[in-house]
Amino acid sequence: MSETLFPQSSTLGQPVPRYEGRAKVTGEARYASDVRLARTAHAYLHMSAIARGTIEAFDLAAARAVPGVIDILTHETIGDQIRQTPAIYQGGYISDSRRPLGSAEIANWGQPIAVVVAETFEAAREAAHRIDVTYKLHPSLAAGMNSPSATTQTLEPMTIGVGDFDAAYAAAPVKVEAHYSTPAQHQNPMEQFATQCVWESDRLTVHEPSQYVNNVKFGLAEQLGIGAERIRVISTYVGGAFGAKGFLTQRTALVAIAARRIGRPVKLVATREQGFTVSGYRAETRHHVQLGADSEGRLSALRHEGWELTSRGDAVAMGAVSMTARLYACPNISARVNTVATDRSTPGFMRAPGEMPYAFALETALDELAHTLDMDPIELRRVNDTRTEPVGGLPYTSRSLMRCFDEAAAAFDWKRRTSQPGSMRDGDWLVGWGCATAFYPTYAGNSAARVRLSANGRVHVSSAGHELGQGMYTMMAQVAAEELGVPVERVTVSLGDTDLPPAIVAGGSSSTASVAPAIMAACDAIRRRLGVDGASPAEIMPAMEASGIGVIEEFAETRPHGVPPDSMKGLYRGKTFPVGGVHLPDRVQFALGAQFVEVRIHALTHEIRVPRAVGAFAAGRIINPRTVHGQFVGGMIWGISSALHEHTEIDDRNASYINANLADYLLPVNADIIDVKAIMVPEEDRLVNRAGVKGVGEIGVVGVAAAISNAVFHATGRRLRDLPIRLEHVM
Amino acid sequence: MRDILAAEPDSSVAFLAGGTTVLDLMKLEVIRPERVIDLNALRGEYGHIRWDGVSLRLGAFARMAEVAAHPDVLAHYPVIAQSLSLAASAQLRNMASLGGNVLQRTRCAYFRDTSWSACNKRVPGSGCAALEGANRSHAVLGTSDHCIATYPGDFAQALLALDASVNVAGPRGSRRLPFASLHRRPGTIPHLETNLLSGEIITEFVVPSGAWTRRSLYLKIRDRQSYEFAVASAAVAVDLDGDVVRNARIALGGVATVPWRALEAEAALRGRPLTAEVARTAARAAFADATPQSHNAFKVELGQSTLVRALLQAASMEFQP
Amino acid sequence: MTLRVNGSTHAVELDARTTLLDALREHIGLTGSKKGCDHGQCGACTVLIDGSRELSCLTLAVSSQQREVTTIEGLARPDGDLHPMQQAFIDHDAFQCGYCTPGQILSAIGCVSEGHADTPAGIREYMSGNICRCAAYPNIVAAVMQARDQMAGG
Repeated sequence: MSETLFPQSSTLGQPVPRYEGRAKVTGEARYASDVRLARTAHAYLHMSAIARGTIEAFDLAAARAVPGVIDILTHETIGDQIRQTPAIYQGGYISDSRRPLGSAEIANWGQPIAVVVAETFEAAREAAHRIDVTYKLHPSLAAGMNSPSATTQTLEPMTIGVGDFDAAYAAAPVKVEAHYSTPAQHQNPMEQFATQCVWESDRLTVHEPSQYVNNVKFGLAEQLGIGAERIRVISTYVGGAFGAKGFLTQRTALVAIAARRIGRPVKLVATREQGFTVSGYRAETRHHVQLGADSEGRLSALRHEGWELTSRGDAVAMGAVSMTARLYACPNISARVNTVATDRSTPGFMRAPGEMPYAFALETALDELAHTLDMDPIELRRVNDTRTEPVGGLPYTSRSLMRCFDEAAAAFDWKRRTSQPGSMRDGDWLVGWGCATAFYPTYAGNSAARVRLSANGRVHVSSAGHELGQGMYTMMAQVAAEELGVPVERVTVSLGDTDLPPAIVAGGSSSTASVAPAIMAACDAIRRRLGVDGASPAEIMPAMEASGIGVIEEFAETRPHGVPPDSMKGLYRGKTFPVGGVHLPDRVQFALGAQFVEVRIHALTHEIRVPRAVGAFAAGRIINPRTVHGQFVGGMIWGISSALHEHTEIDDRNASYINANLADYLLPVNADIIDVKAIMVPEEDRLVNRAGVKGVGEIGVVGVAAAISNAVFHATGRRLRDLPIRLEHVM
Repeated sequence: MRDILAAEPDSSVAFLAGGTTVLDLMKLEVIRPERVIDLNALRGEYGHIRWDGVSLRLGAFARMAEVAAHPDVLAHYPVIAQSLSLAASAQLRNMASLGGNVLQRTRCAYFRDTSWSACNKRVPGSGCAALEGANRSHAVLGTSDHCIATYPGDFAQALLALDASVNVAGPRGSRRLPFASLHRRPGTIPHLETNLLSGEIITEFVVPSGAWTRRSLYLKIRDRQSYEFAVASAAVAVDLDGDVVRNARIALGGVATVPWRALEAEAALRGRPLTAEVARTAARAAFADATPQSHNAFKVELGQSTLVRALLQAASMEFQP
Repeated sequence: MTLRVNGSTHAVELDARTTLLDALREHIGLTGSKKGCDHGQCGACTVLIDGSRELSCLTLAVSSQQREVTTIEGLARPDGDLHPMQQAFIDHDAFQCGYCTPGQILSAIGCVSEGHADTPAGIREYMSGNICRCAAYPNIVAAVMQARDQMAGG
């Protein structure tokens, strides 16, 4: 699949089958809600039906009368048992700054306002529906960015200015100016938001799917006002996350309090609909893009301004102009980001959180420029390719963008494309081909790992990092096997538990880039213990035998390039986040790729299908082409979905989500996906991190929506700048 | 059978066959029956699929998947087979009964979410939140000021187009009614969705055969390729004399509050060659009285295009001698 | 009431409203069947009931009495050998997070036994009742094709 430029290995770079494959195909893999605890009571949330106002009164009589109800938590009944703590964006832990059941104030539709605890799930559900709430509505409501009562604020620190954009744009012989938008979207991992809490004397164990168990642990300790050493959070398997499970949410403290009140384990599995406001989401964005170029397509002026919806309580913005401004050579750049505060729940992270919407805007605008110039869109990227980013003049650690374009174009057979829109019709189907650049910043963060080598050749690796489906167990086993010269089958791995050495949040496509170096460092320490520092892996087991030592266990922590030394204590407090990308003083580091799609639109009935997609990605070293292939292909399908399917629909009257279920919030099904090809372009980058890994989890999403929009233009001659693109838009 | 239906039922009773509608709505507390009566003991008696050359008799407890795969249905009634196999998912089709399928409830978000107080279907007289709400998926035909909820099914359109009748049984005995009079348009009382009497259940569908039944098909247009309710659909059955339409039967889905027979379109086709132009004229007739809402005006055109495509596809069907 | 699951009889006391899915997970302890939506919209809860693939979240436990239920835990042979479909999912890397996988595998077995696995297009259509958010769809199709041939041969 991929040629590996790092030294050939029997383990690294090999398509090793998944470590936990058997557990997952037999049902033995225990996800958080699968853990069986004795005498478990069941919790069910009651969510607000209004978006802004106050609770005047609860009538709980009917709910309490349901047989089997044990307890009902509201802001009136739990008092101050949960403390106010800052949100993650203010240096805290939780995904929004509201105190769970903190007051009678309602700040968004779908806010948890009561928790029923009952002997059975059925009783809890019935009682939750019997809760009667009297609300007092606030007179004004902002459901979306266009609402008059929404408040816009420019985020000055994100403003970028190079050269003189206005003058250069005015002077440019060729110009493109357009507005773009993307809708609210929800991660919708298949596993719902589950939490189980059990207290044993004063110690709390939390079973919860998480991308960052230590964030949950330390944040919960702060909320509950207890020592973090009394809390253990376990997340052995996560049933998909995609950003939704990155940080502590309001539910966890509620379940912990409920379990403490009734002295029994409590289990919550939020419903699919409730899940739409339990955690963050990809908020709506709007974009204004202006491009100026010469007649050869060389960019002389680039402006990208973004607006992102946020909540009134928390100013959250992904602000990916920091990337779109740095992708192509251009001497005059102006970029800025605004938040638009509304009465909605606080947004958060969703796979390629800012990269997806900002790439949609820029890469569609580039296609518009290519069309204006009558230039092949690949060639437009080629003439603007660069080795240094244009804002600060910093070098890319490596950049294989055009090789990705060339390989993907060849695999796609792009040369057969006729440029005139509508020129590739096939019977009743309008056919369009489009392409776009994919990019994702290369991040890493502080992480620790422990490696134990036994004289019998068995190795155990442990880290609090996470298996989300990306193949973390498998790849960490491969790294240790490679370093210690043992077969991968001899390696066992533990992940997802705060009792293990702490690791970075499993986000920002940074897990492998962060934890693999920690494992390598622990293996170095084993070498040193054996007195074979610098020896080849093949020499380790003989040295182990010669030493007569039964077991060597070593712990190591690593701090990637650009991470300040004093940040290491954050690793031990659940505060390690990805660093890198465009935020380094001396360089920029990106994985890059090229996306190609074919769309077919029925001439009469207008349904839009994507029968074919090809992506080529250069993402540094590929530890496991099998699992990485899954990340790329899955990401590309996410991209198709982001363009054509996913749209959280909002009723402006109460800022509610009216399609918060899997029948109406459309995700692709098997029949939507026919031929998706991911090409791994070999790339060696020894600067990014010791493992040479750039991260693959999110780049597959980026650029697909633009490629589809560009292909729709090619098929129909209609430029669609607002996602999702649905059949009524091409009629 | 008599045992099951002996008791005088009331609104606190829900009948359960496949369970795919009743359990779904119970979990949402949209329906709150005090008792659920499992009718599956009737599957032995009313689970049949019988074709005798004159009519097709389908027991109401036959499962969608069984009927969709039945060789006689595939050979003689393609529109029925297709309307069933394009619905829901393989699992749901294995579970869902024909009777339950035609009685499935709307997908209107304001009906399904009890936190919305205004839904005349759920709470008579409470209003209709969809009129001013997100109504892309709502109906453009058969609506009223009280309800614009779309009938979500597929199979019903096939039955309607083919002039099926339906046998029902209840506390006061059995009777037969035309399928066309099973569903009620919302009018001023949208909570009454059918003309079934209290305690009546569907036992059998009887579908006559005609010169048009073989040249029939179901076309379903949706945003994704599968496992989705129709944005627009058309069940068509055409009898051609050469190129000329002797008889056409048309029912529309995804665009109407009830399974929608397009009699005006049928009249516009009769005696004319089935060309794109004629099909387009017929489709316009079908939607002449359409009432679009704020987010679903596209359905007027899409519904027409769907019908045109279905008719032209039916015209081009070829048969083994 | 008693339920027959994977060849064993389980006596359980249940609320009349309890679904087969919750009975399996919360009462019998078979947590391989997953809850992804609880409304028949995702397929994660798919089990075989008398050999037919059905959704356990829309099936009442009381209605499942006298019927033979097969869950993911009942597929591997007692000696530990995996069902060909399970092995095919590993061989083709037909999952990532694994949460939809038990439902996919049972649905795939149903798809093959129904005769809907003749072509990739048929598999795609007849496997569309199982949503995979990780989007391992192409690998799922490849796995079903492999297992189909092995199931026919075996």
